[in-house]
Amino acid sequence: MADSLICIEHVSKAYRRDSLQIPVLADIDLTIDTGEFIALMGPSGSGKTTLLNLLAGIDTPTKGRITIDRRVISSMRETELARWRADHIGFIFQLYNLIPVLTAFENVELPLLLTRLSRQERQVHVRTALAIVGLSDRADHYPRQLSGGQEQRVAIARAIVADPVILVADEPTGDLDARSAGEILDLLNRLNTEHHKTIVMVTHDPRAAARAHRMLHLDKGVLSVEEPAAALDRSRDGR
Amino acid sequence: MKYFRFIWKNVFRKKSRAFLTMASIVLVLVLIVVLSSLLEALDYDTGRTKGAANVVVQHATGLGNFMPLAYRQKIEQIPGVVAVAPQIWFGGIYIDEKPQNFFGQLSTDPQVWAVVHDDYTIPPDQLKTWQSERDSFVAGKQLIDRFHWTIGQRIQVRGTYIPGTIDLVLRGVYTGPDESNIFFHNKYLENSFLGRLERTGIFYLRTEAPEKVPGVCDAINKMFENSDAPVKAMPEKQFMLQFTEMMGDVKLLFRSIALTVLFTVVLIVANTMAMSARERVTQIAVIRALGFRRSHVLMLVLSEAIVLALLGGVAGALGSFPFMWGLIGIIKHTPVAMFAYNLKISLATLLTAFTAAVGIGVLAGFVPAIRSSRISIVDGLRRVA
Repeated sequence: MADSLICIEHVSKAYRRDSLQIPVLADIDLTIDTGEFIALMGPSGSGKTTLLNLLAGIDTPTKGRITIDRRVISSMRETELARWRADHIGFIFQLYNLIPVLTAFENVELPLLLTRLSRQERQVHVRTALAIVGLSDRADHYPRQLSGGQEQRVAIARAIVADPVILVADEPTGDLDARSAGEILDLLNRLNTEHHKTIVMVTHDPRAAARAHRMLHLDKGVLSVEEPAAALDRSRDGR
Repeated sequence: MKYFRFIWKNVFRKKSRAFLTMASIVLVLVLIVVLSSLLEALDYDTGRTKGAANVVVQHATGLGNFMPLAYRQKIEQIPGVVAVAPQIWFGGIYIDEKPQNFFGQLSTDPQVWAVVHDDYTIPPDQLKTWQSERDSFVAGKQLIDRFHWTIGQRIQVRGTYIPGTIDLVLRGVYTGPDESNIFFHNKYLENSFLGRLERTGIFYLRTEAPEKVPGVCDAINKMFENSDAPVKAMPEKQFMLQFTEMMGDVKLLFRSIALTVLFTVVLIVANTMAMSARERVTQIAVIRALGFRRSHVLMLVLSEAIVLALLGGVAGALGSFPFMWGLIGIIKHTPVAMFAYNLKISLATLLTAFTAAVGIGVLAGFVPAIRSSRISIVDGLRRVA
């Protein structure tokens, strides 16, 4: 457990709505090793996104401890957590969430504004990230001038530009057609295998989950099933 | 500086809204620059001009009452007095009563006119001709341009409170701080009831130096304080300010207007910024997720408001110049034309305008910036999900 990249210990999360306490996650234990590609599945409201938010450091657990790369992020103060996110986490959202007034280049450059890199150094990083996702020729395009698949690739370039250890993806293919979804999954696979990114992906799509090394099931806040993605693939094919 | 492009692009995210908001700031800034310049013109220190050594003497109860002409010799005896010219405001009608035909008509003593009005310039031959012809007059250059008068032209001005019509021939053109008047001989009014009463409206006099003005004023006031017609002697600037004071507390009015519109535009810009911030809750949540801190968001939203206000401020400051030139053109044709010569946009006024613009930005952007910085990342992202 000590050598794991992500270590979640007895983590619970509950939200307050007025006087009501709504439990979302209950006593979760999970470890994820460096270079793993994890698919997190489960029905709506099962707590997948909440678990993703917790390990990405944009939410804090009600109970338990989250350690990432030997640092306990669950007890970090907000400012410290923001710095940590900028250095360690790349976000990929279902609806891409690009800034509409910025070009693809400027969108990808955003996380680098938080670094001490010079303008020239930032340009090199951005061009490299855009090249990895295959959009070097679309650097000056605005999000509205791109297809959904291209927007998601720009979002992935933004996620990897600061070279984070972990990529968290919340239904990255949820808003894409089958072909674009396949391209995005190929890209995630490549980032995992060639660039050694640890990926945690929330998805409803069994085909997307099949790309992962491990598939985790969440149901009513309980991490109840854990099985290899390949098993799902076999069951789908009836083998 | 690396955030500037991001700030700039967000300012113009909704172009029409940004331009309309800027337009409101431009209007306010023009108003502030003009009102500040007017206040400066009213406060203009005549100590910087030749007219600073001039004194005006009027009846203690006001301009409606006249003083004995015999006071002139007594005033001339006061140490420090160089020359004294009795003057009467004729207040007649030229052509008709339309405002564009209005101008000041003053009777004076042409022999000392050039001495007491040492800040006016007139060709010596024209002055000499005017002094020698009882029915002649001189006019300011601005009036000549306005009415296209030529030397030798006759004009008739119908009296109002002084009965009768004066029929005068133009013999000279003067230039100076106030070119909106004509001057003609006191002798022309000798046959009027004022002439027969040997009274005058004011004494316009020049002292040896600006430093002599307070002493001369005191001496004149004391000299006639127990007479049947006590007087009030005052520096020329104070005399001119009486006319603006007649309109009430002009400065207070100007300042109240400026503050009211300033407050209104702060509300307008604040509303724009609040709308803009509300529309970008998800965007703010995304950049916070990427690692931007609350202080970054606060700085970005506040900077947007300040950039918007500063752009409006620059446009407003530049736009106020043509507006001011137009205003000066109009004032030059009014009885308070002398203020037009002091009316200009000073560096201090421009700095005031820029400070106001920054103030608008900070005040209007503060609350939306605070609110934006407090957006929860999870709640902001959930709005799309």
